[in-house]
Amino acid sequence: MRLGLLLVAPVMVMVIVFFITPLVNALYYAFVDFDGLNPNPPFVGLDNFVEMFTDERVWAALQNNAIWIVIGTIAPLVIGLALALLMWNVRRGSSVYRVVLFLPYVLPQVVIGVVWGWIYDPIRGWLNKALELVGLGQLQTGWLGNADTALYAVLATAIWATSGFVFVIFLSALGNVDMELIDASMLDGTNTLQRLWYVILPQIMPVFLMVTTITLIGGFSVFDIIFVMTGGGPAGASDVLGTYAYSQAFQLNRISYGTTLALLITVLAIPFTIALNRLQRRLSMQGTGA
Amino acid sequence: MTGTTRAQSPRKRLLRTNKQILLVIISVITLFPVILTVSTAFKTSQDAQRNPFGLFSSFSTENFETAWTVGRFNEYLVNSFLLSVPSTALVVVLATMAGYTFARLPFPGRTFAFYLVVLGLLVPFFTFMIPLYFQLRGFGLLDTLLGVNLVLASTGLAFGTFFMRAFFTDLPTELEEAARIDGASEWQIFIKVMVPLVTSGAGALAVFTFLQNWNNFLVPLLYLPNGSFRPLTTGLFLFVGGRSVDIGPLAAGALITIVPVIVLFVLLQKQVTQGFLSGAIKG
Repeated sequence: MRLGLLLVAPVMVMVIVFFITPLVNALYYAFVDFDGLNPNPPFVGLDNFVEMFTDERVWAALQNNAIWIVIGTIAPLVIGLALALLMWNVRRGSSVYRVVLFLPYVLPQVVIGVVWGWIYDPIRGWLNKALELVGLGQLQTGWLGNADTALYAVLATAIWATSGFVFVIFLSALGNVDMELIDASMLDGTNTLQRLWYVILPQIMPVFLMVTTITLIGGFSVFDIIFVMTGGGPAGASDVLGTYAYSQAFQLNRISYGTTLALLITVLAIPFTIALNRLQRRLSMQGTGA
Repeated sequence: MTGTTRAQSPRKRLLRTNKQILLVIISVITLFPVILTVSTAFKTSQDAQRNPFGLFSSFSTENFETAWTVGRFNEYLVNSFLLSVPSTALVVVLATMAGYTFARLPFPGRTFAFYLVVLGLLVPFFTFMIPLYFQLRGFGLLDTLLGVNLVLASTGLAFGTFFMRAFFTDLPTELEEAARIDGASEWQIFIKVMVPLVTSGAGALAVFTFLQNWNNFLVPLLYLPNGSFRPLTTGLFLFVGGRSVDIGPLAAGALITIVPVIVLFVLLQKQVTQGFLSGAIKG
């Protein structure tokens, strides 16, 4: 027991100093009006929360988070699953494809943001060039500078970065699918879609939910890529809670308000995480029981 | 019967070829941003200004020279290592120690302590990054290697401990008991018997954590406000803000940032994938 305490002590110290303490402080900040300078900030009760719920930009940011969560979860799932099904029986070059498709996921978001910014360049960017080439020149726009497209352009980049990761997870899950069931269903004369829906999907459901959880949580706390590509702009059009909280806290020195916004992200994300984890655990237990 | 199989075979082969063609196209699209970076980075500075995104229209290493000296990417590269290596070592060592306790050595309040650690998997960094800034300022740890390394390490500890605990939990108890009968102390059991059995896990954790820390953008952006020890990620970002027209050196800087990542990933893809797949449980 002495050794146990000794081994665990450094982690506990680190967790308490660099995680629990600032987390508790975050709660404290939410109830005062701290500007970063005053060591004794005045207590303001629920003012920060009241402001948050009446701040139109919070609602706009939340809406962007919602768009990000829905599209940013569904698109990688669909693309990743489609790629995995496509690759399922492919032997030749499979390890190369796997490395190539997974690669974007390990690249730093800053680099991804910078390079995709070139692709979206209004005049010389490859996207506009490609559109003109296929005769869709009228769709050309300054993708990141246009308030209607900025969020979606960044989101498309994020989908590019995560689909390969989802693909690799699905591919390994498909490796565990019971082939006898597939053969049996083929004998029963099912078509491909029916097989996918009734035979394959139920078997990879726990993995499916796991991936959903990751992309969903990512959708609440998204920051780097939007911050790098648009900074939440133009004029807040692509702001999510994270970038809005950052600009309030570090650009306007509204430390307390920024912290309150950040708390909102946590409060929204945690129930989803727990619920999906529970569901996933229940499903995988059913799986082993059957 | 034989007729149908004979008829199917060329069709299947065609399907297989089509699949390969499709996969090659998808791979090229996936790699396109990386190809574009390489192409722009190796242009002459004149060509990079006139035609930055035309693929492979000239060749020179001027952009690297500019990025290296004027862009200070030489310093950023060193700083990236100074921020990623110690923090990664700290995570691997501390997480292995704690993971062992949480798996094998009960003590009163252990469950509570474990929940406290893995709470870090649920709470986004955002939530506490602002108070942490003022806390570090109070400690005098802003703009220091020590401060950023400690923060980077602490952000990796929740996952690291969780990950290493799983490895220790899976080990059979017989080994431990045999060593105990032989008169080994608890410490010797840990160091000589248990740790060598989890080295593959610790290796995967090391690679994964290193990539996370190397790629981390927000931590150095926030906690190195005066720009000392600026790593590649934040250096690249500030380079964009500073001189938006210099695409050539920017591409070279981007390439300098991602080459170590790509090399590590291609060489150790098994470890990286394992880390990321278990990292998936995160949240």
